[in-house]
Amino acid sequence: MDFSGKVRGNKMGKYILRRLLRSIVTLLIVFVAVFMLLRFMPLNGYFPQEMIKETDEATRMAYLRNLGLLDHPFVQLWRFLSNLMHGDLGRSITVYPKVPISTLMAEKIPTTAFLGFWSMLVGIVAGISMGMMMVRWKNRLGDALGNGYILLVRAVPSLIYLFFLQIWVSRWLNLPLVYDKDIPQSWILPILCLSLSSVAWYALWIRRFMVDEENQDYVKFAFVKGLSRKAVLRKHIFRTAVIPITAYLPSDLLNIVAGSLIIETLYAIPGTGGLLTTAIKRQDNNLVQVLVLMYAALSILGVFLGDLLLAFVDPRIKLTEEK
Amino acid sequence: MQNTLNRIEQMHDSSLFTAAVFDQAESERIGVSNYSYWRSTFRTFFKSKLVIALVALMAAILLMSFLYPLFSKVDPTKVSTRSRNWNLRPSWDHLFGTDTLGRDIFARAWYGCRNSFLLAFCIALSDVGIGMIAGAIWGYNRKLDPIMIELYNIMTNIPSTVYLVLLAYIMNTSYLTLFISMASRGWIVEARFFRNRILSIRDSEYNIASRCLGTPMFRIATRNIIPQIISLIIMEAALCIPYSIGSEVFLGFVGVGMPVDAITLGNMVNQGRASFTLHPYQMLLPTAVLCLITVAFYIIGNRFADASDPRNHL
Amino acid sequence: MKEHKGPLLLAAKDIVVKFNLRGQELTAIRGASLDVYEGETVAIVGESGSGKSVFTKTFIGMLDANGKVEGGELLFHGEDMTRYDTENQWLKVRGKKIAMVFQDPMTSLNPVRMIGEQIAEVIIWHFHKSHDEAKKETVELLTKVGIDEPERRYRQYPGEFSGGMRQRVVIAAAIACRPEILICDEPTTALDVTVQAQVLNLIKALQREMGMSVVFITHDLGVVANVADWMAVMYAGKIIEYGEVGEVFHQPEHPYTKALLRSLPQLGVKGHDLYAIQGTPPNLFKEIRGDAFAPRNPDAMKIDFLEEAPAFPVSETHWARTWLLSPQAKAFREALIKKEAETRSVQTPALPFDYEQAEPLLSVRDLSVHFKLGSSRVKAVDHVTFDIYKGETLSLVGESGSGKTTIGRAIMSIYTGNVEGDISFKGRKINRKLNKKERGKLHMEIQMIFQDPMASLNDRAKVDYIISEGLYNYHLFENEQDRLAKVEKMLAEVGLTSDFMTRFPHEFSGGQRQRIGIARSLVMNPDFVVADEPISALDVSIRAQVINLLNRMKKERGLTYLFIAHDLSAVRFISDRIAVIYRGRLVELATCEELFSRPLHPYTKALLSAAPYPDPDVEKNKAVLSYHPERESREGKEWIEAFPFHFLYATREEAEKYVHENI
Repeated sequence: MDFSGKVRGNKMGKYILRRLLRSIVTLLIVFVAVFMLLRFMPLNGYFPQEMIKETDEATRMAYLRNLGLLDHPFVQLWRFLSNLMHGDLGRSITVYPKVPISTLMAEKIPTTAFLGFWSMLVGIVAGISMGMMMVRWKNRLGDALGNGYILLVRAVPSLIYLFFLQIWVSRWLNLPLVYDKDIPQSWILPILCLSLSSVAWYALWIRRFMVDEENQDYVKFAFVKGLSRKAVLRKHIFRTAVIPITAYLPSDLLNIVAGSLIIETLYAIPGTGGLLTTAIKRQDNNLVQVLVLMYAALSILGVFLGDLLLAFVDPRIKLTEEK
Repeated sequence: MQNTLNRIEQMHDSSLFTAAVFDQAESERIGVSNYSYWRSTFRTFFKSKLVIALVALMAAILLMSFLYPLFSKVDPTKVSTRSRNWNLRPSWDHLFGTDTLGRDIFARAWYGCRNSFLLAFCIALSDVGIGMIAGAIWGYNRKLDPIMIELYNIMTNIPSTVYLVLLAYIMNTSYLTLFISMASRGWIVEARFFRNRILSIRDSEYNIASRCLGTPMFRIATRNIIPQIISLIIMEAALCIPYSIGSEVFLGFVGVGMPVDAITLGNMVNQGRASFTLHPYQMLLPTAVLCLITVAFYIIGNRFADASDPRNHL
Repeated sequence: MKEHKGPLLLAAKDIVVKFNLRGQELTAIRGASLDVYEGETVAIVGESGSGKSVFTKTFIGMLDANGKVEGGELLFHGEDMTRYDTENQWLKVRGKKIAMVFQDPMTSLNPVRMIGEQIAEVIIWHFHKSHDEAKKETVELLTKVGIDEPERRYRQYPGEFSGGMRQRVVIAAAIACRPEILICDEPTTALDVTVQAQVLNLIKALQREMGMSVVFITHDLGVVANVADWMAVMYAGKIIEYGEVGEVFHQPEHPYTKALLRSLPQLGVKGHDLYAIQGTPPNLFKEIRGDAFAPRNPDAMKIDFLEEAPAFPVSETHWARTWLLSPQAKAFREALIKKEAETRSVQTPALPFDYEQAEPLLSVRDLSVHFKLGSSRVKAVDHVTFDIYKGETLSLVGESGSGKTTIGRAIMSIYTGNVEGDISFKGRKINRKLNKKERGKLHMEIQMIFQDPMASLNDRAKVDYIISEGLYNYHLFENEQDRLAKVEKMLAEVGLTSDFMTRFPHEFSGGQRQRIGIARSLVMNPDFVVADEPISALDVSIRAQVINLLNRMKKERGLTYLFIAHDLSAVRFISDRIAVIYRGRLVELATCEELFSRPLHPYTKALLSAAPYPDPDVEKNKAVLSYHPERESREGKEWIEAFPFHFLYATREEAEKYVHENI
């Protein structure tokens, strides 16, 4: 049963290495799949409507060849990857013509990440408190209110409630209708809207895990020890229920840079939210590739870090790894 | 003490203190609880008045959305050239009013319901159906495990927007595209869900018993596995409907949803949004119908899941 | 005659508990009374569903949400606890004055908190002590319950503890406040026998040291004999007999107590039927009138069906609720005693199995089974070799995790790819790729009976289908009528009527379900049956039924059994030969009588000494041996025939030593 620290370190290291390798393979497959899918897009998509009318076939082909878009997909892939190795993300083709993507990202990510970070904090704090409240007053008013909220957020398409929130709440509280980075009041609604679904998510899972734990023997034993319901909820049920939640924290944190398409469009936030969609629509291959690679890498890294964090906080996992 | 004994003696006829007849069948009787899984599930499910109301309402909406297009003479695509027919407020002639082109929103709402329902049902059917079969194969075949997990990781790691938008662009926007783009992704999530359930059934003692008896795979599936997961199938299918309608709205927003002239709830919401400030009813009424449907199915799915859990059979 | 050691501490009088189940109101406890005196141990014996757990849960106000105490009183320090209606009132008693230990140590501790914390929190909560003080006390408690290196262990998690150690921790948490009463709800049922003996000794030592009263709930009469000063027998929500433990064991009065003690396999004579209690214990849904046991009692009187008996005193320290003790029943009682004496006439044991003439049916050679656990491989079965002869019962005895079930399942070809070695049946190797026909034939010849009757029947299928499953698979019937007839005949053989066919498994009790399971396995007329702990999950009153059924089937159908078990009492009665398995290795194999009279391996000896024996005079004075090999070494060990047909796994020197000790 007992292992010296060195053995544990070794096993842990091996485990991390294996997981890391697998994550990289997944990332590569995702990237190549998206890369190849992009090559199926029609060539005409690379040009604005006017340009197709004004120029002839040859000019356009020359333009594409110039950009390297007519080479064999594998050649393009290789070129992209080798540039990437040198830290060159390439330039945008159609959305922001000729602008280096790294510059673009440096401009957009801070806004999105700033809003995302605050909304994540709101989501965790409010969501977990809400979940605990629902368990504390299970099958009573507090639970019903929480369930109602979760129901609305999860069942109604987000576009609909986000749209109405923007229109009505901004009028009601006299808040600006669009985002302006110099007016702090205009941050409130976007942050709130961004956190709505994560509040529901955290509340739902905290409640579900806690209710599951409630029937365990050790909880009954804690009651038998004479602890009050409040103490058992806090010291036993919550502590066990929050562990699986921690596995999702890294993902949540990393994914904030992706932003929300709907919210950033509604509030005219100059962030990364709508970038990917626009890039795909305008066939800005370079931009799409970088974005997909980035998002996929972040989400895979998030899952990986989540597993590590879980192994770190959950004493049950260390054991099964060691046996 | 002696007094009580005497009293007892006086109370009883001594013929009662002779041998009684032993009844073998009576000794095996343990008391029947009248428990039946499905009866209890439905009783728990329909105990809530809300659920009864929602199920009735959904049945009515469903029926109406399929009957209305058959019997109504109102053409939902008929554009009026006269501006006095445009943007009419709700009235007896036009229960939900008319839109910017003078089309009757009430009629469009029923057509929209029908189309959205059809799409949602198809997606639910394929997601849950393919998901269940894939999940069963996945659960039963250890060798497939690493491959399927990798596939799952890949498919869930490609941002859904990329996938949907790309597919919508490669093929043209149509019902089929929307169906394929949503169905080709949803199944793997369902497959993983079913795989976990089937794994626990596979290793249960009664299933091992069936294997010891040499029961063929087909009968193991129909007798041991499907009866255990049928309630999950119903629940997952019910929850697919709000999900698919929600995705339809989102894709309409991105601009890669259904063709503009297709009548679906998602399109109506997105089109109504443009004229919301001037004619709020054009968006509000279809939105209300849409939310009613998604919320109702969400509640029904979740309540059914609760009711099908034997722990809740009180 | 025996006096109580101290004053009365807790008096439960006529407790009635009702449950609301699916809209029905059911009475779980029908007026049960119990007195707990200071410094004594009172054991409550009963089967599952008798209400023994529910009854004691009322002592600490821990009934499930749908249950309610509807009558009676619970006097503790002059207060009637049934009147408590707020959490705060209970918090002053629960854990502090009355503590409880649960059955399963694997689930009683929070897996994500350090074990020390889980004990210290009780001290902090009840006595408002500082963290450091509580920690100091916790370390002392850990030492007290026999955990080495308590300082280091304090910071470990439950996952790093074995079952026995965890139960020690649970006990430490329960006694942290020096409670006046400790309720132990089957605290050793989930443990291996050797560990069980240690934990029982610990509880007894703690009780002596701290002067606690202990309420001990169990279904095992051997355990009662070991720990109890007083015992209360519970049946269908009522205490039916109560008394000093020796008196009840030696002179039971209630027909149920009598039958229970008579049906123990320790009292059985080989080759004859055990005395078996008929029928099935009632559940909550059964309406009870008169004496609840009367329907199962072949010698019941008419009045038993009409009216409940009051508590008739047998002596100052012993009473029973049976009309047999009524003066009016004097004639009937005397006739009954005479009848019993006649039936109890001496039976001669059957001749032992003749191994000189036996031919092997199944041979296992060098069998190893390994499992993948994470990235490492665990060997569950390690080079096991044995033969099973046609017509014998070979028992495989070992503790949980020793690999005994794995061997059974390997024989059933449930595993693929992780089995090494040879298993051959009737001379043909069977752990290889067989074609469909060969596999089918094998399924018809080898069958398995499972341990847990609750898990081994598909609860969405009717009994009819469950029993016919094998018939369907090989189409062993001519037409529907023939199939039904076969099912009916099989049901009758296991003692169930044909109207059970259209019911679902959940309508049956554990014993009935196990009989259905046996019917399912035997309907194809196999030659060889692997019985994987078929009685360990059953209630005591029906174990004898199932043992008799298995023996009768063996005789009638010429079956051969591989009987997997951890319960030595039943093994001795049922088997011809016994193989003892320890950590995946067979350590000893001998005929039944030989092994019990001349055990050689120290592990076998430890196992035999730890098994509880249902007689307080024997049990209270026994010494328990323990086996803790310091180093697991395979070197030089071999399979040695120490005496004829008596094999041993040891080095030559060890074997010589063991043999020498036994002469």
